[in-house]
Amino acid sequence: MATGYSVVLVRHAQSEFNRDKIYTGWCDSDLTSDGVEEAKNAGKILCEYGFEFDLAFTSVLKRAIKTLYFIQDELDCHWIPVTKTWLLNERHSGKLQGRSKVEVLEQYGQEQVHRWNHALHEQPPPLAETDEHWNGNDKRYAGLPFAPVGESLQQTLQRSLQFWHNLVVPALKAGQKPLICGHGCYLRNLLKHLDSNCSTGKKQLETPNAAPFVLHLDSDMRPANLQFLNRHGNDIVLFKRSRDS
Amino acid sequence: MATKYKLVIVRHGESEFTLKSLFCGFGNDADLSETGAKEATHAAELIKQEGIEFDVAYTSVLKRAIKTLYLIQEVLDCHWLPVFKSWRLNERHHGALQGLSKSEMAEKYGEDKVKLWRRSYHVRPDPLDKTNERYCFNAKPYAHMDQSMIPDCESLKDTVERLLPYWYDEIAPAIKCGKRVLIVAHGNSCRSLVKFLENISDDDVINVEVPQGIPLIYELGEDLRPVKHYYLGSEEELAAGKAKQINQGKPNFKGY
Repeated sequence: MATGYSVVLVRHAQSEFNRDKIYTGWCDSDLTSDGVEEAKNAGKILCEYGFEFDLAFTSVLKRAIKTLYFIQDELDCHWIPVTKTWLLNERHSGKLQGRSKVEVLEQYGQEQVHRWNHALHEQPPPLAETDEHWNGNDKRYAGLPFAPVGESLQQTLQRSLQFWHNLVVPALKAGQKPLICGHGCYLRNLLKHLDSNCSTGKKQLETPNAAPFVLHLDSDMRPANLQFLNRHGNDIVLFKRSRDS
Repeated sequence: MATKYKLVIVRHGESEFTLKSLFCGFGNDADLSETGAKEATHAAELIKQEGIEFDVAYTSVLKRAIKTLYLIQEVLDCHWLPVFKSWRLNERHHGALQGLSKSEMAEKYGEDKVKLWRRSYHVRPDPLDKTNERYCFNAKPYAHMDQSMIPDCESLKDTVERLLPYWYDEIAPAIKCGKRVLIVAHGNSCRSLVKFLENISDDDVINVEVPQGIPLIYELGEDLRPVKHYYLGSEEELAAGKAKQINQGKPNFKGY
């Protein structure tokens, strides 16, 4: 078992776009009724494990904010400060936002979709200002340092690390216990890149909706192991630091 | 003076304690009742009809206010709003009255005495002893504070004095730099703001009632003094809301 620090992370519960297999990105898709139950269940799991939190971080997208709200309701901790930041948003999917994943696959082919999902610098086709899903005029993004046309994995990673180093690490070092409620692509990349020496034993870490996991860090803030809570009654350890790192 | 800013204040919806006509206060983290949730949603509909939007919200660390705010955000589709929570916006601490029935107190001590406890400026209830079974204070939201700041009873004057630093240090600067502010708070924290903003005298504040779940709008001038103020919703709703507060302090009132 790792010593040092631990932080609890959870991907938001099922959204309408998740259910309908639509690229979501920065679209502000709401939770489904199943998603609401998933979020409450995530809270119940954390409650059963006896977790308590001093503060929470989430994105500015309602599927994450509402998941966090239902978790807080189960834990009876509505009072904790919640920081909402676009740095925690899901990866911006550009012109793919709002489109069916099946249609995109048919249009662009498996190889291109695979590149978008895995190649670090591959940009999705850019979203136009005239597109119905354009976020550029949204008040919550006033002051954004770039136009929200779409992001590569690298760009998403840069802001996720900015969030991690500027917000999470100081909280952990101050002895606080944070809860982070974020998005799938974002969380997968954050975990993958916090320590490239970690081997998951899988090609890509899965982050199911509303499945809380604990990231244990050593005293140097490097991931030591990761546990999904209460999966089929057993915590699943998904990676451990390799011996030569 | 011309209107430069608009401030919206909403008292949280009916809580489980209001339902039973009990003194709730600082030390009780009562939940919203079903009616309270509907009142919160209705308040939001009234705000939406006025076309009012917000950039930031302030509330207490008590869930009845936090959840009222969440329900307002749900209707206005602005969950992304930065929300700041402070104990300084908490309800007044009712001390030894906490958890007791307002109407039973009215039967025992008289309606006028209860009105004095509930609505006057200087009267402080007896403190509530920590060994009392009605002492159910959740210390976690206040663990970071100087513990001597946490009250065990308050007059309205005490509430005003601990609320105003938050107005001056956080809320007023936000308004001044052009942020459109929503405050969701409690009966006596709202009355404190009303007294301060309208410069109501210590004697006259006894008659100020702030109904639950009806948005109160202050149009403020350059100097943050009110140019005008008004409640949203109908006259009937407002009268019923105020009466609901008054009736709880009458003898033989059994709750809603």
